[in-house]
Amino acid sequence: MSRKVAQSIRYVLLTAALLFSLAPVYWMLTISLKTEVEQFASPPSWFAFTPTLDHYYDAFVARGFGDYLLTSAIVAVTSTACALIIGTLAAYALARFELPWRLNRRLSLWILSTRMFPAIVTAVPLFLMMRDLRLLNTRASLIIVYTGFNLPFVVWMMRGFFADLPRDLEEAALVDGDSRLGALVRIVLPLVAPGLAATAVFCLIVSWNEFLFALVLTQTDAAMTLPVGIAGRVTQYEIKWGVMSAAASVAIIPILVFALAVQKYLVRGLSMGAVKG
Amino acid sequence: MPKSRRFFSAPNKRELLLPALFLAPALAVLLALSIYPLIYSITISLQQETAAGVTWGLGNFARLFSDNFFLTALGHTFIYAIAALTCEFLLGLSLALLLNSQIRGRGVFRASLLIPMMLPPVVVGVVWRLMLNPNFGAINGTLKQFGINTESLTWTASPKLAMLSVIAVDVWQWTPFVFLVLLAGLQAIPPEPYEAALIDGSSRWQTFWHVTLPLLKPSILIVLLLRTMDLLRVFDQIFILTEGGPGFATETISLYIYRTAFRFFDFGYAAAMSFVLLALTNVISAVYIKFLQAKETI
Repeated sequence: MSRKVAQSIRYVLLTAALLFSLAPVYWMLTISLKTEVEQFASPPSWFAFTPTLDHYYDAFVARGFGDYLLTSAIVAVTSTACALIIGTLAAYALARFELPWRLNRRLSLWILSTRMFPAIVTAVPLFLMMRDLRLLNTRASLIIVYTGFNLPFVVWMMRGFFADLPRDLEEAALVDGDSRLGALVRIVLPLVAPGLAATAVFCLIVSWNEFLFALVLTQTDAAMTLPVGIAGRVTQYEIKWGVMSAAASVAIIPILVFALAVQKYLVRGLSMGAVKG
Repeated sequence: MPKSRRFFSAPNKRELLLPALFLAPALAVLLALSIYPLIYSITISLQQETAAGVTWGLGNFARLFSDNFFLTALGHTFIYAIAALTCEFLLGLSLALLLNSQIRGRGVFRASLLIPMMLPPVVVGVVWRLMLNPNFGAINGTLKQFGINTESLTWTASPKLAMLSVIAVDVWQWTPFVFLVLLAGLQAIPPEPYEAALIDGSSRWQTFWHVTLPLLKPSILIVLLLRTMDLLRVFDQIFILTEGGPGFATETISLYIYRTAFRFFDFGYAAAMSFVLLALTNVISAVYIKFLQAKETI
């Protein structure tokens, strides 16, 4: 087989894989833009339809999806900020200070292992804890839970970024009379800023996408996130497909932006640095 | 890296105060949100509510063995995990091998293939509810155009096809992840072993089997480990697509635990089941990690 033929076969297969990945998402997008009559058209119309924004108006103005969107954003941003601050400090300690009893390694592994629990295992006791604390149906409960959920990831990622950094600069700052905290804030953090940003984006994605804890902890409009709001509409008997697709399409937008922003770090992030070793 | 290069000076009591302060908040949060819930969960799993009040014992765990719903959900979880893992691995590996060669527009392909796995699982559920809908879904609509009778193809609503459908959706969403990790692994392989194989006159198949695959093994094991752990706990997409139905056809163990806790409010039994899931996840990942470490010592 000549190289050219092999190469064209590659492109055909890849294009097929690409269509297979993207066509379903595109289909949802068309449903969100079609009138209810056109949604049920047979044969299905992929391109020929008159787009309307009615469903978007219906979802985000007439129905409560605007509130869900706001809750999702507040919860994602706040929990990411908390996890970053707490996690970066811990990561710095683990990467830069020699602790007794081989605690550097032991603590790192223990922190990582807390992330491995299946969500449903902690969902049951967390629900009961939040009920006892009277925090059910509040954004605070989700912020707390997501902070804990993202923390191991932040520690593990940032520990790697700190370890990659030569320590000469910090030492110079220390010699110049800077405190440890001062050296961390003024010298080290600017150097790991890209890694910090990538880590932040991952936390935002995880919090934005999270479903099980949100489903368990929030059932009222006051603290419902976008995924729970969408899910509530799906499982009802009469389903407003347009409204649901519009809400789901909006839920995708930040993810697309984020995914493009962290493409470079994606493999490392998704396997928590394990691949890089 | 020698220790002295990596860490600051040797510890003394004053030196340890700062790292302790830095670590304290993180450890406190993890104790409160991971360890305490786990202990709490153990205590509720040991309690059963009876007419006479709360009794302590292993009753919830004993119930597991005679609960057919639990055993069926466990079976479904295994079928789901094995089928999805096999498909995702084979497809992901093939794609990675295809894209590892010089191809124009590789960046575009790569970025587009990422989209499914970044989507919120709830959105994945919605996307495929729309694709698979028997009345207006794109799949049946397209099949009809080719003259195929789609009357019995009700996908997620059909007891026979529901499991197949939810597995296919998982494959759709997660094959790109397998692909990405394996592609990164392939690109980390240095050119020398390939050059040696070329000089030895190895065939392409021999090179793949004796050079590529062994060098790719760490990446393969890691990706299989991560996928297995995720597959065993699957909840979100199935909840949206079928809610475990029709009947009990796609009920996995996470869904059954959810139903037990939050529909029937039997928290003790739900906690007991969640420990089975936890133990299962731990045992299986321990096996993977053992393989992984065995590889590293060679």
